[in-house]
Amino acid sequence: MSLLGAEKLNKRFGGVRAVQDVSIAVPQGAIFALIGPNGAGKSTLLNLLSGIYQPDSGSLSFDEVNLIGLRAHQRVRLGIARTFQKIRLFKQLSLLENVLAGFHIHQDVPLWQCFLSGASGRFRAEALELLAFVGLADRANDRAGALPYGQQRMLEIARALATRPKLFMLDEPAAGLNAAEMEFLLKRLENINKRNVTVVVVEHNMDLVMNVAQRVFVMDHGVPLFEGTPREVQANPQVIEAYLGGEFAA
Amino acid sequence: MKSRFALFLIVIAIIAGLPWLITTPYWRGILVLCAMNVLLAMSLNLVLGYTGQLNLGQSAFFAIGAYVSTILIKTYGWNFWVAALAAVIAAGFLGLALAAFAARLRGHYLAIASLGFAVITYQVLLNWEDVTEGVRGIYGILPPVPNTVALFYLVAGIAAAVYLLLDNLVRSPIGDTLRAIREDEVSAASLGVNAAIWKAFAFGLGAGIAGLAGAFYPGFVGTLVPDAFGIIESFTMMAMVIVGGMGTMIGPVIGAVVLTFLPELLRGFGELRLMIYGLALTLVVLFMPGGMVQAWVSLKNRLRA
Amino acid sequence: MSDLLALLTQQTINGVYLGCLYVMVALGLTLIYGVLNQINFAHADFVTVGAFTAFFTATRLATRVLGMPDTAAYLLSLFFALGAGALLGWLVSAAVFAPLRRRGSDELRPLIATIGVSVLLENGQLWLFGPVPYQFDSPLARETIRVGRIFFSAQSALVVAVSLAAIAALYAFMRFTFIGKALRAVAQDRETAGLMGINENLVIALTIVIASALAGMAGALLGPVVVLTPFTGASLIVKAFAIVIIGGFGNMEGTIIAGLLVGIIEAFTVQYLGSGIIDLVVFAMLLAMLVIRPTGLIAERKEENV
Repeated sequence: MSLLGAEKLNKRFGGVRAVQDVSIAVPQGAIFALIGPNGAGKSTLLNLLSGIYQPDSGSLSFDEVNLIGLRAHQRVRLGIARTFQKIRLFKQLSLLENVLAGFHIHQDVPLWQCFLSGASGRFRAEALELLAFVGLADRANDRAGALPYGQQRMLEIARALATRPKLFMLDEPAAGLNAAEMEFLLKRLENINKRNVTVVVVEHNMDLVMNVAQRVFVMDHGVPLFEGTPREVQANPQVIEAYLGGEFAA
Repeated sequence: MKSRFALFLIVIAIIAGLPWLITTPYWRGILVLCAMNVLLAMSLNLVLGYTGQLNLGQSAFFAIGAYVSTILIKTYGWNFWVAALAAVIAAGFLGLALAAFAARLRGHYLAIASLGFAVITYQVLLNWEDVTEGVRGIYGILPPVPNTVALFYLVAGIAAAVYLLLDNLVRSPIGDTLRAIREDEVSAASLGVNAAIWKAFAFGLGAGIAGLAGAFYPGFVGTLVPDAFGIIESFTMMAMVIVGGMGTMIGPVIGAVVLTFLPELLRGFGELRLMIYGLALTLVVLFMPGGMVQAWVSLKNRLRA
Repeated sequence: MSDLLALLTQQTINGVYLGCLYVMVALGLTLIYGVLNQINFAHADFVTVGAFTAFFTATRLATRVLGMPDTAAYLLSLFFALGAGALLGWLVSAAVFAPLRRRGSDELRPLIATIGVSVLLENGQLWLFGPVPYQFDSPLARETIRVGRIFFSAQSALVVAVSLAAIAALYAFMRFTFIGKALRAVAQDRETAGLMGINENLVIALTIVIASALAGMAGALLGPVVVLTPFTGASLIVKAFAIVIIGGFGNMEGTIIAGLLVGIIEAFTVQYLGSGIIDLVVFAMLLAMLVIRPTGLIAERKEENV
């Protein structure tokens, strides 16, 4: 059963066709990896899926709801969450405030009440839980901008999880992480997946993909190249050629 | 919650007591001006400090508040309070119009659009002489209450009430949402925040509050001319917000008080004192971007250590 | 020459003259934006300072102290205004832009800092010169040149000549000198330019100085034709922004075309609408532009970098 399905998506910018006739089906409950060399169009595809761009043509649906025309913030309410390649935290706010902001779609305080009683305590406990999940509970009141890079990445994940997504898409989460941080990230992704969240990871780093993904979709120059299990992808000659053997060296 | 309430009572006491300390008509007038500036600074801070929108044209909403209320009173004989309400609503709608631009524009572009917006408003007020009397101005405008002290209590009381309401607002989930938009609009969208709607909310509310201040202004001055609402007035408001401490509740209040009284205290220096606005703003941005609030916090930390 | 043709030509010439003035002001803004991605809000106030400098040079210094004839005095004042602008530019660059750049601040802070400088300059001039408008009579404004049925003043001829010379000089500078090329390099990609040994800070400072000098000189040319008060610049600034946006931030050619366009529109409509309405029309155009095509008439659409 595919949770997210796209047929023949196309997107061009000026003269560049970033995504060309891409059809993709993300099975429910899977960890799905989207890989390809630089410039393959992976991030653009992710932006199409999350709603930052609208496709020029093609169809896109999530949980049987048509996504075409829906803007990014509307897709979140359907259960789609994402992180960004370049970390986009609320740097001046504290860790706790960052995660609390993630509960936006669950807030149901009526407008008039916001002027009267003020403080929102409802999601504080859950926010702290999420921070604990990524190992940051003890720094809840620190400024987000003060965190080291690896921890900023984890905070971004905690914040996105606050939306309680069914589909969680991450754009190159492992970039810039050291071995220990990557190990931690892998474990967290597996944990998230076990809680019935479908995970889509755009990645460059093959360790992450091979160890954690159940299905892999390979792109090159905006066009789909191959899809299969990690094993199959590793053995596929076209994929190897596209990467020029670099990433696949055992 | 308890300590906030206690603090609020202290502020009320101070407001109540000030006219006893300050007895000359001139300085009592400055008190009224100060209260108006506090309202204006808070209104701009909501948009600039909390939502991060570069609005350089706040004086337009102040102007609309002043003109709509005055015209309704003088030409159509409306009661002051109903006219003031109409002024707030009119200003609020104008704020929503500007928000329509803010939805699509960021940073420099929005700054310039807001400036253009303010200039267009000014030109309309200047040239639509049938309605606004343009450059000739409207004269003989009476304040809603008979004397300066009463006017001060009125405006300061309203400012205090607005402060409370806004303080609650920024501590609520809406405050989280506005701050998210300020910090990073793109990732806020990835958390489900409809930035366009919330910007409209901030702009509309900020404009309405500025319009409210505007309703009291003509009665205080007695006359109404478009020149009171130019670009430099917008910049002065901005100076108050930033010098006090952008993005905090108390900052704009401090900034408004300091930048209302300081030039008055420096009257001995002649027109030179007006340079304090520009000087304060430039120096604060260069050396202490968080304004006086930041200075205060740094001082406290240093004393603690 | 038919009546209508004469009228059209006359208005077009007026428009070109106005346009050249606007281009001189806007060009500096767009230069600074091109190299720094910053808007100098005080730019229009540099124009005012230039105008006052020229005024005092022409009417006091050159004529009374030095005893120069009116026309020569006025021409001398152009240079003084240029110098005043350059000096102000250098000051703002060293005191505001450079420190903020060193501390790596966002785009908001330099903008607000220049707003502070603008307010400072306006109130400073208010203190020095008072609010009453000054009568800046350029000797050339009184001399009329006539070609067939077309009239224009020597002043407008001077404006056009100086503007063309300035623009040509700027072009030559950008294209043929090393510093000019360095400037374009920094405008395109600051990091790479730095890596290639170009001293970005020097280049940026130089750009601001040149841009501000242009503004100062524009003030000297503008002085005789507008109401000269400390707020003269402020009345220009939104028009200057409109031109820069319509032409495209950082785009020299676009700014020139947009400036001439605005000048011509103004010349044609001022007779029927009055200058206040003109401002309104221009700003409405600006707002329309911002909604439809914020990057300007000529610039390309860029993919948003997420």
